[in-house]
Amino acid sequence: MEMFEHLATGFVAAASLQNLLFCLIGVLLGTLIGVLPGIGPIPTLAILLPITFGLDPLSALIMMAGIYYGAQYGGSTTSILVNMPGEASSVVTCIEGHQMAKRGRAGSALATAALASFFAGCVGTVFLAAFGPLLAKIAQQFTSPDYFSLMVLGLVMAVVLAHGSLLKAVAMVLIGLLLGLVGTDINSGLTRYTFGIDGLWEGIDFLPLVLGLFGIVEIIRNLENPPGQRTPISTRLSDLWPTRSEFRLAWPAAIRGTGLGSLLGILPGGGAVLASFASYTVEKKITRQPERFGNGAIEGVAGPEAANNAAAQTSFIPLLTLGIPSNPVMAIMMGAMIIQGIQPGAAVMTARPELFWGMVASMWIGNLMLVVINLPMLGVWVKLLSVPYRFLYPAILLFCAVGVYSTSTEPFMMVLMIVFSIFGYVLMKFGCEPAPLVLGFILGPLMETNLRRSLTLSRGDPMIFLDRPISAGLLIATLLVIALIVFPQFRKTREVAFQED
Amino acid sequence: MLKVKSPQDLGAGIMFLLIGLAGIVLGRDLDFGSARNMGPGYFPILISGFIVLIGAIVAGRSFTVEGPAIERLQLRPILMLLVALAVFSFLIKEIGVVLTSILMMVVAAYARPNVAIVETVIFAACVAAFVALVFVFGLNQPMPLWWNG
Repeated sequence: MEMFEHLATGFVAAASLQNLLFCLIGVLLGTLIGVLPGIGPIPTLAILLPITFGLDPLSALIMMAGIYYGAQYGGSTTSILVNMPGEASSVVTCIEGHQMAKRGRAGSALATAALASFFAGCVGTVFLAAFGPLLAKIAQQFTSPDYFSLMVLGLVMAVVLAHGSLLKAVAMVLIGLLLGLVGTDINSGLTRYTFGIDGLWEGIDFLPLVLGLFGIVEIIRNLENPPGQRTPISTRLSDLWPTRSEFRLAWPAAIRGTGLGSLLGILPGGGAVLASFASYTVEKKITRQPERFGNGAIEGVAGPEAANNAAAQTSFIPLLTLGIPSNPVMAIMMGAMIIQGIQPGAAVMTARPELFWGMVASMWIGNLMLVVINLPMLGVWVKLLSVPYRFLYPAILLFCAVGVYSTSTEPFMMVLMIVFSIFGYVLMKFGCEPAPLVLGFILGPLMETNLRRSLTLSRGDPMIFLDRPISAGLLIATLLVIALIVFPQFRKTREVAFQED
Repeated sequence: MLKVKSPQDLGAGIMFLLIGLAGIVLGRDLDFGSARNMGPGYFPILISGFIVLIGAIVAGRSFTVEGPAIERLQLRPILMLLVALAVFSFLIKEIGVVLTSILMMVVAAYARPNVAIVETVIFAACVAAFVALVFVFGLNQPMPLWWNG
């Protein structure tokens, strides 16, 4: 029962008063920002990243995890009450959740979302504790070609799951890779694309990049196209509990969603978005009353909400064991870890077990806090939806600026943020989604290193990627994914899935 | 005569072409090396090449495939926000976080028409106080509170 010993270590580390406090603050702030219409987990994490810098690594990571769950839950609340998804994974919640809200079952939909998420969170935590060490063992077998192929698969998946045109998403990944290479080449010590600017020697800073591309562009988008009058559907706490018949429909869906989400979260490129879509599709397929879907079927809330939370949990597995983020959200998590001086990977688990297990434990604590705190505070979050945007955006802008300034007082950081705001604005006008860029940016140097090592090993022969069984398997999976995209039927599903944004 | 059917794609394609070409031109002095012994230029040039390729396809396709128009540029929001950021970075060292925050938020407020100035200043002052409390006292960030540091 090694697993329980590990978990105990984790709970001891995570459950210090200080860490609990930071977890709580993270969950609250994450919900606070995440509940704002149109702001998904990526901008939320970006905006709140700086406040974790002053903390010790474990507290910082616990807080980030709390922010992430809070943001996701906040997003679901907004989806259900005002039908405005902040990101792709809550699009699905919108479909059924908002219909339920219209029928006066908003409270029930919100409680179902929270409870399904909590259940999924518990399972996801156990899953992480059980499979983390296992995968870390497998990770030891990974050599450079395997890592390279894994990253190729991850990037291809990120492209498939991005909004809009596939080709543009591929270009965004590549531009991200290129931006990731700016700075000193580790191998030769030469600087690349630095234009003689000192601030670029160590590469482009992560924070100004994400804040510019996501935080500030998001504000501009909202200012240019003010979202229509949002009238949140009022909800009373007495309506909070699902009826018996609703409960009977919801729990099997939550269990199916949890299973699906846990598995899909581990895959490269997997994560909350993929999981919630998959779960919704499954629920719609297996129901005996398909006519209820689209009119507020509670399974369509419970399943996807469970799935996205389970996947959010298990998508930490590849990051923590292989050191490779599987989606843009995890790329931001990895950025946060690197800023804290931690290089994610299997080494963390052995060298700093309290960090790894502390984080695992804190995920469960974070999920518990979500249920215990957010549900009773529902009224406050709903009120927040009625704060006019003219108050919100200057404050968000200020947080972005203070955040960058508190990591580095170098004026160049602000210049970088301005440059990336402009770049993000241009991307928005040309219909390019920047999320895949972040993943490419984080993976750029890793990919180059592993490609270089592989080809040095094989004396320049690219067949090395097919000779190694792990690498070959990953590349075959990549080909299958590409084949799926070319296959028209799947392509159509993808278009339908993303058109609502 | 060629007709642009998807202005967004044409713009994106041209942008990709420019970025890719910039990657190649600016990286031309980096040693390319060979697959066996990759120089610092190998991977970036390879990636830039792919970006150029995709840029060409996206731009080319914009003449054949129907697509959305580019939304009208609105200068006011982006300009005012960038000015607000510049104000912040210039003033923070000089007059401290409290006054800078208020000034910045007032500038940012002008990204929208019809600013109610009194309301804006009062709100900005509250947020500035909050930021000072959290970042200077709570998180001990190295930023001056007032002009005298």
